[in-house]
Amino acid sequence: MARRSQNLVLGIIVSSLALLLGVAPAYANGFGLEEAHSPNAETISTAYWVMIVITVLLIVVVNVALIAALVRFREKRGREVARFSAGRGAFRPVVGISAALALAVFVFGIVMTNDARQIEETGPEGLTDTATAQVGVKGLPPVSLLEGQESATGDEPITGEEPSESAPLQIDAIAQQWLWRFEYPGGQPGQRTFSYGELVVPVDTTVVLNITSTDVLHSWWVPALGGQVQATPGSTVQTWFKADEVGRYEGRSTVFSGSAYPAMRVWVRVVTPEEYLDYVEQRKADLTEAQNAVQDVSAEELSE
Amino acid sequence: MTPPTTTTTRTRPEVVTRGVPAARPAWAERVASADHKVTGLLFLGTAFTFLALAATEFFLMRLQLIVPENSMIEPQIFNRLLSAGTVTFVVLFALPAAIGLMSYLLPLQIGARSTALPRLGQLSYWLYAFGALVIYASFLYAVPETGSVALPPLSELAFSPSNGADAWIAGTALALGGFVCFAVNMLATVAKMRAPGLAWKRVPLFTWAGTVINVVLLVIGPVMIAALAMLMVDRHFDGIFFEAGEGGAPLLYQHLAYLFLTGCYAIVVLFAGGVVSEVLPTFARKPIFSHRAATLSFVAIAALGLLAWMQNMYAAPLNEGWTIAAMLFALALTIPVGALLYNWIATLWGGALRLRAAAWYAIAAISTMACGLAGELAYSVIPVGWALDNTTASQGDTIYVLVGGGVFGGFAALHYWYPKLSARLLGEGVGKGALLAMFIGIHLYVIPMFFAGLEGQPVDVFKYYEGTGVAGYNLIASIGAFILVGGILVQLGNAAYSWNNGNPARGHDPWGAPTLEWFATSPPPPHNFDVVPDVRSAEPLYDIRDAIRRRSNDFTGPEPLERVEPAPSAAAEGAGDTPPPQQDAPAPPAPEGSAPEPAQSEAPLEASEVEAQPEAPGQETPQTPEADDGGAGGEDEPGTPR
Repeated sequence: MARRSQNLVLGIIVSSLALLLGVAPAYANGFGLEEAHSPNAETISTAYWVMIVITVLLIVVVNVALIAALVRFREKRGREVARFSAGRGAFRPVVGISAALALAVFVFGIVMTNDARQIEETGPEGLTDTATAQVGVKGLPPVSLLEGQESATGDEPITGEEPSESAPLQIDAIAQQWLWRFEYPGGQPGQRTFSYGELVVPVDTTVVLNITSTDVLHSWWVPALGGQVQATPGSTVQTWFKADEVGRYEGRSTVFSGSAYPAMRVWVRVVTPEEYLDYVEQRKADLTEAQNAVQDVSAEELSE
Repeated sequence: MTPPTTTTTRTRPEVVTRGVPAARPAWAERVASADHKVTGLLFLGTAFTFLALAATEFFLMRLQLIVPENSMIEPQIFNRLLSAGTVTFVVLFALPAAIGLMSYLLPLQIGARSTALPRLGQLSYWLYAFGALVIYASFLYAVPETGSVALPPLSELAFSPSNGADAWIAGTALALGGFVCFAVNMLATVAKMRAPGLAWKRVPLFTWAGTVINVVLLVIGPVMIAALAMLMVDRHFDGIFFEAGEGGAPLLYQHLAYLFLTGCYAIVVLFAGGVVSEVLPTFARKPIFSHRAATLSFVAIAALGLLAWMQNMYAAPLNEGWTIAAMLFALALTIPVGALLYNWIATLWGGALRLRAAAWYAIAAISTMACGLAGELAYSVIPVGWALDNTTASQGDTIYVLVGGGVFGGFAALHYWYPKLSARLLGEGVGKGALLAMFIGIHLYVIPMFFAGLEGQPVDVFKYYEGTGVAGYNLIASIGAFILVGGILVQLGNAAYSWNNGNPARGHDPWGAPTLEWFATSPPPPHNFDVVPDVRSAEPLYDIRDAIRRRSNDFTGPEPLERVEPAPSAAAEGAGDTPPPQQDAPAPPAPEGSAPEPAQSEAPLEASEVEAQPEAPGQETPQTPEADDGGAGGEDEPGTPR
């Protein structure tokens, strides 16, 4: 009996360890989150690393204590049972340690949360406000960022204060079953430049996304560029990122949204500011052309 | 080895009540009876049937996800499995399994002869049964496809016109209505019908956990019923509760549903906590390290867990302050959870743990839940939640707790109380083997899914794409899931088989347990106790055995006082228990008669656990009136009509 249970315990430990060791190096990325390409994603990554270490430590401590109790205090011939129970203050150490741990993690969590929410300014390589002003593509001043329920309407003349150099690029991201629509700043309301499925943004530039949904719940999540944000019909939430490298990043929704839910993916293509401006111009021209074509067709149909 | 003699009545003294024969056929008795034990058995049988169903649904979903872009199961079918699977596991298995055991055991543990409102208890089962019927009857006409929690707007009529969603809503609400009825009945019973002397500080910990669970049920049941009713009004009576832009808010349903789900999570933890707190002291032959700390932990887990419902909603459009408050409550859970784990390990420390299947399941439940709850600490930190909520990583973490608590805890309870329910043992060898399979399976499932979550695999998808780096993880996880499901199904088969064919339990108190349910016969008569005992401590059965032993010492009858070894009551005096004499023998000599089926590998082991000389079942009849049949009542019907 004793040997059998010992073998069982040993078998469980060995197989669990073998599993851990076998699975972990199977992929190079291993224990880390997807590589961060935005300051907020870096904060998230830091928080994750600290917490995963704490978690693994806690799991190891509890399981080692459990196994030790199991191995040492099995029933044996002549084992005297020590029928003790907790005296006064027996729980003080454990409550103290766990309270201290919880408090430390709580403070750490608040710091990390605020850090991830703190919108950084556009970097030197990025699209500056002056550059956007030249082609009539503007962002809103950062004053409206936190209370900004109203979406970016960059076409309106900015009254009051001067647009700052570092005004972020405001883009509306609108989710629907099962596609994202992105509306870029500039253009008349209802006639703004837009794209579906793929968002194109300049590198090293702070981008503020105003996220909403037109039908059911979705979520915005591009792991390299930050955390999840739920797209809720009827309310607009803001998130931000500042991509530090040109590239194409994949994201996906994590909220069940019906029959084609896995297809609710999104791509963010990060390009240089010049390419971005060209892209927006090109998009605008294409859309105008398409609209004119439609108008021509309908005009012809009307005249017939 | 000396042959069994009549002295056994002396070495294992017990006082038992005698059964009253059933007046009606068994099936009519079951349907019509308001007896809490009958209700409990119905709950347990139905719940574990739904565990088999949930495991099968899980198996099918993992089969679909075994390779990327699999087209074996249609998306529609997968989404139906998804919608049915979660509600089946949580509402149709985990909660009713806990409720069934509470229904059966709580009155017995507090020395009550029935429940306070027996018909309400009976109603609770039938509401649950018909709720389950409504949900599964929808498979015949239109199946729900609204996902695991039916979040609006997706569950609104515009996006889910199928009647299946209505069946899902109505069935879930019916079942929850039953649970609320149950909670009312049980709370009234526990508050008013405890045996004399059974103060709250002496109430067994499973009853304590059950009481807290019932309070939680009273909080979350009406909340979710209200949410479902509002959803129904939205769908069919032009309601705007969850209609964005018309004065309603989808966020409202999220709040209510997540409060409910958090409560379910807390209930599973508390249920497993209660079971483990009974199983460990009995098998380690030590009282719980601190009764008071355990009860405080239960209450704190329930309160903080419920307050932390917004921990699931970090990505939702909430005020920053609310998310931080949720993080605070979720992190504060570290304290009661840490205290509870410490309490259990300190209970094992210095004891002499008999590693029966029930103890193994309890240990596995602690280990698995500790993994899950430690992970929960990480996901409670807001930025980590932003990164990993709704991915397979956090889902795996939830599965650690729900399967560790609900399935491992549930089977620990089943192994422990099976002799009380059926007078037979739940097959030990098969049980341990199934546990090993489940234990390997759950880690083989969760660990790869954690890495897949780090790669960004979201939950609830019916496929994942090639080149996303999660294919290998999903393959391993699917294999792990199959092993887990296989273990669950084997163990369920074991439980069904043992009901009529298991080894007879040795006496009415095969484990030498300290609590009052073992004072009744196995199974207990309809009125539970002939004599309601006076309770003098937290371990009333030790006191009773002790009293009987001392009385029989004074008794100078014709038999020789051949006291082989101290009775288990010796443990109550702290005198040090005597371990089984055959413990380390390579081939334990099987005592004659105590192992009627020697082919079963565990039979000799069971015999070896016996503290004193075992006797042949059914061979002896009681010798003395006060020391009733100790070991014989296992297989024949307890008692004769008086």
